[in-house]
Amino acid sequence: MNSGYNNERPLVMHIDLNSCFATVEQQSRPMLRGRPVAVVNRRTENTSIVTASYEAKAMGVSVGMRVKEAVKLAPGLVTLESDPAKYRFVYHKMMGIMKRYSPHITMKSIDEGVIDFHQTTDDIRSRNLVDIGYEMKQRLRDEIGEAMRCNVGISTNRFLAKTAASLHKPDGLDVIDHENLRATLGRLKLTDLTGIAGRNQQRLNAVGIFTPLEFLDTDAHALHTMVFKSILGEQWHQRLRGFEVDDVTHDLKTVGRQYVLETKTLSFGEITRRLHHLCESVGGKLRSQNNVARGVFVYAKSNSQGYWHARHMCDLPFFSNSAIYAQAMMLFAGAPPDIREIGISCYELSDDTGDQLSLFGDQLAREQHVTEAIDDINKRFGDRTIHSADTLGTGIYVKQKIPFGSTRYL
Amino acid sequence: MNDETFLNERVEVLASFGDGLNPCKPIRFRRLSGREIMVEKIGLRHPANKGTRTIHVFDVTDGGADYRLEFDTERLTWHLTREADHYE
Repeated sequence: MNSGYNNERPLVMHIDLNSCFATVEQQSRPMLRGRPVAVVNRRTENTSIVTASYEAKAMGVSVGMRVKEAVKLAPGLVTLESDPAKYRFVYHKMMGIMKRYSPHITMKSIDEGVIDFHQTTDDIRSRNLVDIGYEMKQRLRDEIGEAMRCNVGISTNRFLAKTAASLHKPDGLDVIDHENLRATLGRLKLTDLTGIAGRNQQRLNAVGIFTPLEFLDTDAHALHTMVFKSILGEQWHQRLRGFEVDDVTHDLKTVGRQYVLETKTLSFGEITRRLHHLCESVGGKLRSQNNVARGVFVYAKSNSQGYWHARHMCDLPFFSNSAIYAQAMMLFAGAPPDIREIGISCYELSDDTGDQLSLFGDQLAREQHVTEAIDDINKRFGDRTIHSADTLGTGIYVKQKIPFGSTRYL
Repeated sequence: MNDETFLNERVEVLASFGDGLNPCKPIRFRRLSGREIMVEKIGLRHPANKGTRTIHVFDVTDGGADYRLEFDTERLTWHLTREADHYE
């Protein structure tokens, strides 16, 4: 029955910090240990919870829930504003621990990473990976603090290693191999599988697939032609059997930021000042990756008119905050009233070779020099030491938050 | 709700400098009011950058409340920047 599964030794390890931000807060503040804690991005009742501690989760608090709803479920809930510098420190500590075991590590986000043991030293590869997993948990406690906990999953590919890491939270360690694959998947729901939610679940249900085992037993041709209608079908067939299809890196395609307005009563001018702040932030991110862009995309969510967006593609690449803001403002003139959220991103990114910009004359060269000088000053004296006068006073609202999905800027 | 008070209070700190994971350990500090607080435990120490200046942030507790001390490595000054509510 298990023919076709990857029967090689499991050499991929997934490490996931449990309730990362809340755990780090409980580590740094000993008096909060054992108490319900929620981390938020802004100190208001209407803000959503980014991370909840296990004590809060046990009381029914979940990620995404509004604080005012959460405090009803968990009286005494302590809400803390996210502290990016602290999480960044823990991220680098965790990465340092992982690198001691293999040079082939991939940080999937700020709180999870993958170690590939295929190409590490013989000494390490000859050891039992379960022992290494427990050793890493101990190192995390020794080198960051005793409250730190992580889940470890070991398997033959990234997908099953992540699945293994989610089986026993918190502080679990599980292995999925060809021998226990069916038994493990038999205990899960379709939506327990990473990547199966919403539309993918509907696609599978539409052809009579309701459990991970039914998914596993469906042949690649059926998954291609009937379910995913693309190469994704074959990839899922391989992925579920423990073969690696996810060891790929994706190029940076867009750079963006969004902001949920702090109140409903802001004037159009106040909203565009916050948009200006976002443009400065996006410009900094763009240049930190040595990229230039050719497209600008803006969106707004309106209480009365729903989602609105506009985009513009330029003939020439741009990079400065002022160029991004000028285009964003041109587009934003068509935005609806009654806005509750705004966002901007730059797309059509390419490497900033310098050559292409210098072709376009003195004005562009001057803009480049001024931008570089401002970036240098901000790097030396701190973020937003120099910024547009228009965004004076927006900094207390539009703070830089920790990026959950990308590790490029950590 | 939030249990922290944000401060920017210059404090005198008695600290030890040794080896190990946390070579610098604040032992006790005196606030402007003259009140002395004994550090019972360091929760986490992490560096933070203010431009090119490095600040070492110490989240500590006296066993009744949590505090944040910041050590400026360029100016060699300590500041108490946060104090949390006292828990029983």
